[in-house]
Amino acid sequence: MVITKFAIPEVISGHGSIEFVAKCALRLGAKRVFFVSDNGLEQSGWVDRVLDILDGNDLPAVYFDKVSSNPRDYQVHEGADLYARERCDVIIALGGGSPMDAAKGIGTLVGNGGRIGDFEGANRIMCPLPPMILIPSTAGSGSDVSQFCIITDVEREVKMSIISRSLVPNISIIDPDLLLSKDADLILASAIDAMAHAVESYVSKLATPITRMHSHKAIELIVKNIQPAVEDKDTEALRQLSIASTSAGMAFSNAGLGVLHSIAHSLGGMYDVLHGMVHPVLLPSVMRFNMRECTETMGTIGRIIAGARLCSDQQAALAGIDKLEELFASLGVNQRLRDLLPDQSSIEQICRVAIQDVCSLTNPRESSWRDLRGICEEAW
Amino acid sequence: MPPTELSDLVGIEHSKLGYFHELQLKLEELKAANMETENRRQEIAAILDGITDVMMVLSENLKIISVNHVFRELFDDPAPEGKYCYQIFRGQDHPCPECPAFKSLSTNTVCKETAFFRINGVNRQYEMVASPIKNQDLPEYKVLIFKRDVTLEKEYQAKYYHAEKMATVGVLATGVAHEVNNPLMAISGYAEGIQRRLGRHWKSLPGELAGDLEEYTQTILRECQRCQQIVNSMLNFGHPEATTQSPVNINDVVMETLHLLHYHLKKRQNLTMRTELARNLPFVHGNAAQLKQVFLNLLTNAIDAIGEEEGVITVQSGVTDGMVRLEISDTGQGISADIRGNLFDPFFTTKPAGNGIGIGLSTCYTIVVKEHAGDIRLESEVGKGSTFIVDLPVPREEDDD
Repeated sequence: MVITKFAIPEVISGHGSIEFVAKCALRLGAKRVFFVSDNGLEQSGWVDRVLDILDGNDLPAVYFDKVSSNPRDYQVHEGADLYARERCDVIIALGGGSPMDAAKGIGTLVGNGGRIGDFEGANRIMCPLPPMILIPSTAGSGSDVSQFCIITDVEREVKMSIISRSLVPNISIIDPDLLLSKDADLILASAIDAMAHAVESYVSKLATPITRMHSHKAIELIVKNIQPAVEDKDTEALRQLSIASTSAGMAFSNAGLGVLHSIAHSLGGMYDVLHGMVHPVLLPSVMRFNMRECTETMGTIGRIIAGARLCSDQQAALAGIDKLEELFASLGVNQRLRDLLPDQSSIEQICRVAIQDVCSLTNPRESSWRDLRGICEEAW
Repeated sequence: MPPTELSDLVGIEHSKLGYFHELQLKLEELKAANMETENRRQEIAAILDGITDVMMVLSENLKIISVNHVFRELFDDPAPEGKYCYQIFRGQDHPCPECPAFKSLSTNTVCKETAFFRINGVNRQYEMVASPIKNQDLPEYKVLIFKRDVTLEKEYQAKYYHAEKMATVGVLATGVAHEVNNPLMAISGYAEGIQRRLGRHWKSLPGELAGDLEEYTQTILRECQRCQQIVNSMLNFGHPEATTQSPVNINDVVMETLHLLHYHLKKRQNLTMRTELARNLPFVHGNAAQLKQVFLNLLTNAIDAIGEEEGVITVQSGVTDGMVRLEISDTGQGISADIRGNLFDPFFTTKPAGNGIGIGLSTCYTIVVKEHAGDIRLESEVGKGSTFIVDLPVPREEDDD
């Protein structure tokens, strides 16, 4: 693949950058903002903060909070109806992957009409979306910079991947102050999510020198900062994590992901498991599975995680995976699939659905549903 | 749905869709629409500007919503909007009785009416047309009013009727004059003949008879001469088309006018007519027939002003400030100050309906001021009488060349 593309939104970052949300919205032509967030952010006071900032700029807002973790199709429809009814013009989303993906889904319906399921797959969005400003509250999902939108089809129990350049928001405001109010578990899950984005995009079939640069940097920053961020809520470490998450997001948005995300989407569609909790369970197994096809890159990743050493790429890669498992263990996250699923009976179904996921396309190693089952069994 | 390929994920040909194209199209459309609207607006503005009538859009209760340029030229009010029509036209606080707006609104038809308005100190007659503006989309009904100034039109019409009447009278007078002239010639001829014969046979006639005959024929001749003068006056009156100006002796014109009124004056025993005419009055440059009409009017007014009471009319001529001045005074009822300003307006009259159309003084004004570059004015005191003063310029020596 010689001809490549790299698309990202305007990124505003730094402590206190959330203050610019109203000015950004006004610049995008806002007269009446559609504001999406969730209960968690209401409780931490950030929703009121954003509403205050908008109010301080005489910008009225319609608030929509009917968003669950793993946003559902009907929630997106409900949001789009409200947007139309209230005659809003600019969408602002504040939160983790869920409110941001919900906002993207709402924008898609507002601009294109129809059902959200109509847009599953790549490049199915044919009409422009309203301007979007996304404010991530977790350093992980990368949704604020990506062209991905993951919405759960409740009836089919499938997480649909909608991919379109039009889903890249206009502006992403990354304020690390938001991370301070998160509990350690969420910071950890998000960081591991970002790590998974970085690793999968690094070895993706569509990885380019530009995306690899970001993947590389993201892994480096996460390894270095995850412990101080989670254990001490170190401000600087949190800032570094947010940079890592953004870099990983830019990388995966343009390079794509792999079978880890295919399985995570499939599993999440069926069991409503928190996305970030799937990665520590499956990431080492997927890395081992893919290592054969991308030994050199895996070696590079290994050296970033475990430190520079004089050995073969394969040894370095394995050392990295071991070190990663050690890190997860030391941080106390669950590492076995059996803790997420009631029994093994659904694994086949999960893998058969996962292999259909768009993310499987860019996985470095060609794989069948059986290969995925092997990965799941290894992680059980 | 074709399966997604790697190239779809790269999406070289797919970009974040923006509204630029739509916006551009919209802009073009809006520009075109705007231009069309502007053209239409200018066209309508040109049409409206071309209307020379006063135009107003009024609310149901006659509040002014908008007016055209003619209105603004007529009234010095920079913001008539929001005021009431009757406030501006009549200075009153209630609608005018002849207003066609209400009828137009209630019948939903175009209604016409004429009325007099006093605007900027001048009486003007307006023809008003009211058209209702009714539309379900409008929150309330409106009415469009056109007011056309028909003062001149009506004035000319009245003048035309008057002139026509005078012309008819003139033709009749000329006919009568000619018819009377011949027997008059015969009477005076025979009277002279009698006098000649009387001279020859004076001695042979009894003393008393000759003296009586002499006296009778003198009287016949004198009266014939008077008749002759009346006939001449009538012949002059009958030729109003002779509007060319020539040197005129005002005293002669006054005398001829008094001759015309002689019979009229003789009936009014209560009236005393005094004439104080200056000798060696300079000639004025003018039209004797027109000036006669002026004096006739002024004298008729003076007679009417005295009415049945005892009174004196004095006609005085002289030279004042290089102008020939003729003053016609009466000892009548006088003219009150509040109507003095209206006196020379067309259609203004104090006479009861049927006795005049109010054209007299306005015609005098036209003749004296417009045609003879002179001046006519009034001095009056209620209960004591009025004096009309007519000044006519005397041509300077060099003008005669």
